[in-house]
Amino acid sequence: MKLIDALRIVGQEGNRELPVLHIGLVCGFAPTHLQTFLAAHFRRASGGQRVEINSGLYGDLLGNLDRLDSKNADVAILVMEWSDLDARLGLRGLGSWSPAALPNILEDARARAKQFLSAIERVSREMPVAVCFPTLPLPPIPFFPGWQGSSFSLELRSLTASLSADTARIKNVKVVDPQRLDLVSPLSERFDAKAELVSGFPYKLAHASAMADFLVRLAQPSTPKKGLITDLDDTLWSGILGEVGLQGISWDLEHKSHMHGAYQRLLHAFSEAGVLVGVASKNDPALVKQALAREDLILPGRAVFPVEASWGPKSDAVARILRAWNISADAVVFVDDSPMELAEVQTRHPEIETILFPKNDFQALNDLFYGLRDRFGKSSISMEDSLRSDSLRRAQEATTVASTQSVETFLEQAEAEFEFEFSKDQADSRAFELINKTNQFNLNGRRLTEASWQSFLKDPDAFLLAVTYKDKYGPLGKIAVVAGRVQAGSVVIENWVMSCRAFSRRIEHRSLEELIRRFNADEVVLDFELTPRNGPLRDFLSELLEAEPASHCRVSRHRMLDFLGKTLPRVAEVARG
Amino acid sequence: MADVKTRLLDCFAAVFPALSPEDILRADHHNVGQWDSVASVTLFATVEEEFGMELDLEDLPGLTSFEKILAYLTSKVTA
Repeated sequence: MKLIDALRIVGQEGNRELPVLHIGLVCGFAPTHLQTFLAAHFRRASGGQRVEINSGLYGDLLGNLDRLDSKNADVAILVMEWSDLDARLGLRGLGSWSPAALPNILEDARARAKQFLSAIERVSREMPVAVCFPTLPLPPIPFFPGWQGSSFSLELRSLTASLSADTARIKNVKVVDPQRLDLVSPLSERFDAKAELVSGFPYKLAHASAMADFLVRLAQPSTPKKGLITDLDDTLWSGILGEVGLQGISWDLEHKSHMHGAYQRLLHAFSEAGVLVGVASKNDPALVKQALAREDLILPGRAVFPVEASWGPKSDAVARILRAWNISADAVVFVDDSPMELAEVQTRHPEIETILFPKNDFQALNDLFYGLRDRFGKSSISMEDSLRSDSLRRAQEATTVASTQSVETFLEQAEAEFEFEFSKDQADSRAFELINKTNQFNLNGRRLTEASWQSFLKDPDAFLLAVTYKDKYGPLGKIAVVAGRVQAGSVVIENWVMSCRAFSRRIEHRSLEELIRRFNADEVVLDFELTPRNGPLRDFLSELLEAEPASHCRVSRHRMLDFLGKTLPRVAEVARG
Repeated sequence: MADVKTRLLDCFAAVFPALSPEDILRADHHNVGQWDSVASVTLFATVEEEFGMELDLEDLPGLTSFEKILAYLTSKVTA
């Protein structure tokens, strides 16, 4: 982004329906253009949300960090440079570079790094923090020629690498990846000596824009994709299964098909991290079943669900997979080596992102792996992530059983167990994740920033109910969240989401019963808003209200109990936390 | 490519979005309230980026109005 474009974006009015986001920009240099780029990238990433960026005093990174708290910022962005560790590491400081001074510079830098770590930890308890550690070249301080690594420079880099790793381990803190920044902003194109001396701003504009882009991605992460549908022949493996047979397909160096093995390895890692991996292949189903049972597959067959192998159009197979996953098409990526198949799927499912598997171009394949990681990347892996694929498989088995029985009979026979937990644990990211990822059973579709979520949890009137479910088909994990406030005998529900994996188990009914029981409320107010996708929740509310739900619809305790009495099944166990 | 005056007008409009094109033509650091030292830094960086050139340090103190910057850029571009 050019500075003039950033200024134009910032100069626009912004979306007045969204609250102003207050950003604490913590740096030791003059923030000028970085501040502009941050504001512009935030605007662009958040649909025009207005931001107010406050920075501190020049040359006082640690003091600026110490002065930051939740009263003056919703989110912190910290940008450190070498001179923040010791002024002698910058161009502006004129402290000695004599060989005798080097041990003292290192000693000061180590001490300062410890102080930064402790200050970042403190701030992270109040707000999300995004950090970028030094990105500029070190000045020519050591007495070695520049092409020879000195212990001084290497120790400094080791110090910031350790500081970065320690910082990245802190909950609520995200760190810019230096390698990725190197790829988009070459080291030689970063430092602006004139700007540093004239205005105290050390970066060339392109580098400042790249840093701002990365920092905004950390502070305002986009929703990762949920599912990947892959082709088999010449994609998951090399060779056409129907032509070369079970033993003819390959994915190794010996057969010059190693990149297919590397692709399998990536997909296996995805599935272990909760990404749904399915197969859509024009093939003989019996043969595919045998191929996916091969024990030397790097992506084991059990990690793939569902497998749609047939001779019909791939768009039909994709439709069946979407139904089995019960997720929307825009959360899915389809990978195939055939442009024709990609086009056919794209025509029928325009929201799916289709990606060509460039089977003969190793460099493009390597780039594809990075691209897929970006699309599916997430900051943490929850227990629910590891359960997702298995639970979907079990859900299909359960659905088959349930289709022949009433819900009540099914739940009794399924030995359903619910756990209701009222806790505002800020360390539990699952509730926040569910609210921001769920579409179909979602009260209003509103997404929250980490800052607004933490602010909500701190409100003494706020409550958070999380529901965990398991039955004899296996655990589903934490699958529903109700969040709101209790006001004068009313329970006001502001967010209510439930994973689609948990439909048809009366969890929504149970959740309402728990709220009434817990708060002894006279009425429940639901901050409902119809979205293009929350039909299942609208249908439930229509049943409850005996009318189409309106915004801020109210249900009396009497009506609620009457409704629940008619619809709730008997269940084996209910645990309460 | 747009002429120097149009491009400079774009730079001023980005840095001082409240000014009309007519105001920009008359703008100098005395009659534009928002034209402080930070605005100068932003304006000069925007001009350098837009015109792909570095402004000489010694010339910066004299670049105090739209008219003076336009004359400076015109002389550099045609030199």
